[in-house]
Amino acid sequence: MLRTPLEGIERAHGANLGLFAGWLTALDFGDPISECRATRSSATLFDVSHMGRLEVDGNKSFELLDKLITKDLSTLNPGEMSGPALILNENGGIKDDIMVYMVNDNKWLIVCNAVNRVKDINWLLEWRDRLGFTNGDVSVKDLTTDSVLIAVQGPKSLELLESIGIKDACKISLLNFMQNIRVGELSIYLISRSGWTGEEVRSYGFELWTDVLNGVKLYESLIKAGAKPAGLIARDILRIEMGYVLYGNDIDEAVSPIEARYWMALSRGKDECVGCDRVWSKYVGGVNRLRYGLKLKRGVKHILRRGYKILAGDEVVGEVTSGSYSPTIERSIGMAYIKVDHAYIGFNLDVDIRGNRYEVKITDFPFI
Amino acid sequence: MSEAHITVRTSTGEYLIRLDVRYTESDEWVLIRGNTALIGITDYAQKKLRSIVNVELPAIGKYVKKGESVAVIESVKAVADVYSPLSGRILEVNNELLTHPEYINEDPYGKGWIIKLEISDVNEINDLLSHEKYIEKIRSSE
Repeated sequence: MLRTPLEGIERAHGANLGLFAGWLTALDFGDPISECRATRSSATLFDVSHMGRLEVDGNKSFELLDKLITKDLSTLNPGEMSGPALILNENGGIKDDIMVYMVNDNKWLIVCNAVNRVKDINWLLEWRDRLGFTNGDVSVKDLTTDSVLIAVQGPKSLELLESIGIKDACKISLLNFMQNIRVGELSIYLISRSGWTGEEVRSYGFELWTDVLNGVKLYESLIKAGAKPAGLIARDILRIEMGYVLYGNDIDEAVSPIEARYWMALSRGKDECVGCDRVWSKYVGGVNRLRYGLKLKRGVKHILRRGYKILAGDEVVGEVTSGSYSPTIERSIGMAYIKVDHAYIGFNLDVDIRGNRYEVKITDFPFI
Repeated sequence: MSEAHITVRTSTGEYLIRLDVRYTESDEWVLIRGNTALIGITDYAQKKLRSIVNVELPAIGKYVKKGESVAVIESVKAVADVYSPLSGRILEVNNELLTHPEYINEDPYGKGWIIKLEISDVNEINDLLSHEKYIEKIRSSE
């Protein structure tokens, strides 16, 4: 079991800890619903130190990443991020969804899912060998356990960072980052304008990457400046409200990005990378199921859970992969893969909740 | 809360233990008064579930066996059955929970109580855990 370096300070602020992807980390601070509301209305702190952070370094870095990642990285400039991008297996299934940061031509950073960190490293090293590169050409370093990643999310994020002296925060535009920022005693390795709670449409949040010592100090000073701590349950609810996928729930190696409708993680026309040819042939040839949103009727308090069946008459036409209660729209929401010939957007199908049927509306994303 | 409680600290958090009740392995508490048993879920259980959004209660008068599911609690994290710690007839249910399921989060040993039973087999009481044993159970499951 790995433990977040912020464990001590999070406990002191009332965290309930639990395991996520092999990490002991803060699941909530007493009330995840109010943590969601605070994120939507103000600013909250999420400890996302469990997420994998890798450094790819060397003059063959671009060639290796270009071979393995769905996004066109050639259009990036130093200080820019790829946005959501995918690593695919050779069948076009999703090995991971990641974020790529271009430091310079020869140095790149990757933030990946905690659950896939080791798998991703092995995949990068395997393909380095297959492409005939050496460790001198391109190295892959795991920076995860020596550092802290704090997401500051919500409309007051910028104000919050400015209030602790990060005056340049306003200069960072969406999916851009700055490095080696000094603020008084604090030293921050990287600040990016990004997140997983709704930045795509709102462009509110930041993610701050530091070493462990500075991470603890930063967390404390953000709390002193008025930020409310939030946990992974709230983060899960917020991402479901946006329709974002969680690896292991909504996407995995057996799912194609076309089925997941993960359009923003693809670069149309890029078919040279591993698995990309399969994705684009599926795009042309069509798929049998697609990911859609689900909404229970107002007042139905059940939560849609992974594995619940979607029914049309007596026929199972889909399966829930994620769900929660949305405090923003005050409805129970979720997502499911639904057979294409039954994906009646705007219509109601039924969902089987432990033997009882409830009407569920098929919708698009986001929910808010 | 006027009753005596202690706080147990484990690797995942702090949990309130009420001292004048008995416990089950499945995280229910039982307050025995004469031949009745007031039943709820523990602070540890509510903290594992977090943000409870829905509670399904049994019918009054129904006879339940020890270990049988008597209520369903649904939170943003999970669905959990509440298992009857004892056999008996349901005397009362806490209907307040239908509109205020969060009472279980706010006050699991008080206004978050779930059902009241008429005990049919007093021998079963011996199978319930003391608070000391329940604390051991929490610590060993962390």
